[in-house]
Amino acid sequence: MTATEKRNTGAAAPSRLMPLAVAGSALLAAAAAGAFYYATQTATGPERGDAHKVVVGERTCDPADFALPAGRATFEIHNASSRPIEWEILDGVMVVEERENIAPGFHSLLTAKLKPGSYEITCGLLSNPRGTLTVTPSAQSEAERARPPITAFIGPLSEYKVYLAAQSGLLVKAAGMLEEAIRAGDVEAAKAAWLAARLPYKRIEAVTGRIADLENAIDPLPDYLEKREQDPAFTGFHRLEYGLWGEGTAGGLAPVAQRLSGDVAALKDRLKALKLQPEELAGTALRQARRLGEGQVRDGENAYAASDLAEIVASLEGMEKSAMLLKPLVAEAAPDVAAGLEKGFSAARAALDAHRAGETYPPYDRLDAQAREALAASFRALAEAISALNPAIGLE
Amino acid sequence: MKPNRLLAATAITLATAGGAHAGVDALDLVEPVAEYKIFVTGRTAELVEGVDAFVAAVKAGDVEKAKALYPVVRVPYEQIEPIAELFSDLDVAIDSRADDYEQAEADPEFPGFHRIEYGLWEKGSTEGLDAVADKLSADVHDLHGRIDGLTFPPEKVVGGAAVLMEEVALTKISGEENRYSRTDLWDFKANFDGAYKIVELVRPLIEETEADFVAAVDGNFDKVYAILEKYEDGDGYVSYLKLTDADRNVLSAAVNTLAEDLSTLRGKLGLD
Repeated sequence: MTATEKRNTGAAAPSRLMPLAVAGSALLAAAAAGAFYYATQTATGPERGDAHKVVVGERTCDPADFALPAGRATFEIHNASSRPIEWEILDGVMVVEERENIAPGFHSLLTAKLKPGSYEITCGLLSNPRGTLTVTPSAQSEAERARPPITAFIGPLSEYKVYLAAQSGLLVKAAGMLEEAIRAGDVEAAKAAWLAARLPYKRIEAVTGRIADLENAIDPLPDYLEKREQDPAFTGFHRLEYGLWGEGTAGGLAPVAQRLSGDVAALKDRLKALKLQPEELAGTALRQARRLGEGQVRDGENAYAASDLAEIVASLEGMEKSAMLLKPLVAEAAPDVAAGLEKGFSAARAALDAHRAGETYPPYDRLDAQAREALAASFRALAEAISALNPAIGLE
Repeated sequence: MKPNRLLAATAITLATAGGAHAGVDALDLVEPVAEYKIFVTGRTAELVEGVDAFVAAVKAGDVEKAKALYPVVRVPYEQIEPIAELFSDLDVAIDSRADDYEQAEADPEFPGFHRIEYGLWEKGSTEGLDAVADKLSADVHDLHGRIDGLTFPPEKVVGGAAVLMEEVALTKISGEENRYSRTDLWDFKANFDGAYKIVELVRPLIEETEADFVAAVDGNFDKVYAILEKYEDGDGYVSYLKLTDADRNVLSAAVNTLAEDLSTLRGKLGLD
């Protein structure tokens, strides 16, 4: 058959199947015959829409440069070279869309939903020069920039759920080691495990704080309990902290540690089942930043372990994870808001870094009121920056 | 009209494909996409570990061990290909074929798995492969880090099922991909598993509203798995050359139908 006959001139017919016809030659005679039959069946199909035709030769694409409005675009890629080709639309190193293995003499259709920007297109051999694709804003892309569709949040929310799963996994593991060390009566190992467990807990506290029943068992502060340290409801992390640091013993703590293990395991399951809304990515980070700015930094939480600084760093990491997931959307809608967010996080990090000594932080009681106020102020400024996110992308 | 009149099952599916996708709540996709990333990250960790062992064998000049490891360590890469191939530079570095280079196998730029495959099977030697092997190791480590940092685009996750089937239809059925080692059936299996994983993750979202579609897809997966099973050999598969024409045709038809059917998944889930 001639090159012309081999072409699938059918309409929307996805000719991705076509290379099969030449693919394995001897290997594939029967399947190839089937594919050819298929080709002839579609040769008289309806007219295709306005596809952008591109012919890939031995060295170049023709045309090599496209300028299109944003939105859905279909390309009809003809392989006029002597080798099978792959045709890709690239955004930096990332593939936007591609068609693989278009055999010589064949063509294939590719449909891409293009956002405004500058892209490259590949043209056969890897050493061949690339073409360009310039996508200009359309009315719809402008509308989506200001108010991204709900599907734009699937990726960021998924990524945050992966983070919650990873951090709660670390928490469960560390709580297990803490329980083990307490059962062994090893105070030093228990202290180390306690400190390790607090970090993943703090990274996701913005979300777990809303799971009230577990939160009240895992993280109550004695200050909020009627009989303080002697209160029967004094359980969880701070009860263990009080025992290990305040009383210097693991004695009697095994049931508390066991309960904590069970509670964080339950927390992990609840987080997995939790369905987050798009506005909660910024919302939870905002709440956490405010908590820190409005009292937690001033008062401290770990009266006995004095490990607050490392935990505040972990809190910041958690906030950064969720808020920054919105940054690509915000950067398109309101670049100044995205820049403000960056600035807020780097200022908070710098405020914490000022206290860092190598890989560790000094005990929190070394920070006087003035130092604490400076730190708290950076979190209030961060809260301000985070609060601008949702309105910038139509979420409030 | 869509062209796939050859296969009745497909025709039925396609008849419903263009119509309304019964209001899938976009946020119901959050959990499947998250689960998929966790799956891919786990596979990538396995890829890194496997490739490092493979690279060690190549660098030790142990041709037999390297040949034994080659199809095994490729499995996770082939499973996660919809994500791995989003990074065009790494995909080229890790998995490009000789065809992509001006001087084909002789081209000094020809890298990655297939360059090593060529050396091991065609030359029966690891000579000159040290640098290629080191680069492969560095590239899969890089891939691991990049995947970790990637927010998975949902349309690439859902579209990945069809991408994997197309991958089989276009580069595997022809025996093009592993042309020196003939270990193609290992890759087939990995591509099928990768696609099936995606189907499994979104199944709860469509099993009621798209029962016929799901049944057709399951039926074709059953077909391809049944054929692969016939060619199992120990923990892996026999040479691709042993696949009979009859089986190749059944496989090819099922894979093409799956590629067509699964390409409608994005639309069904409101991601087009």
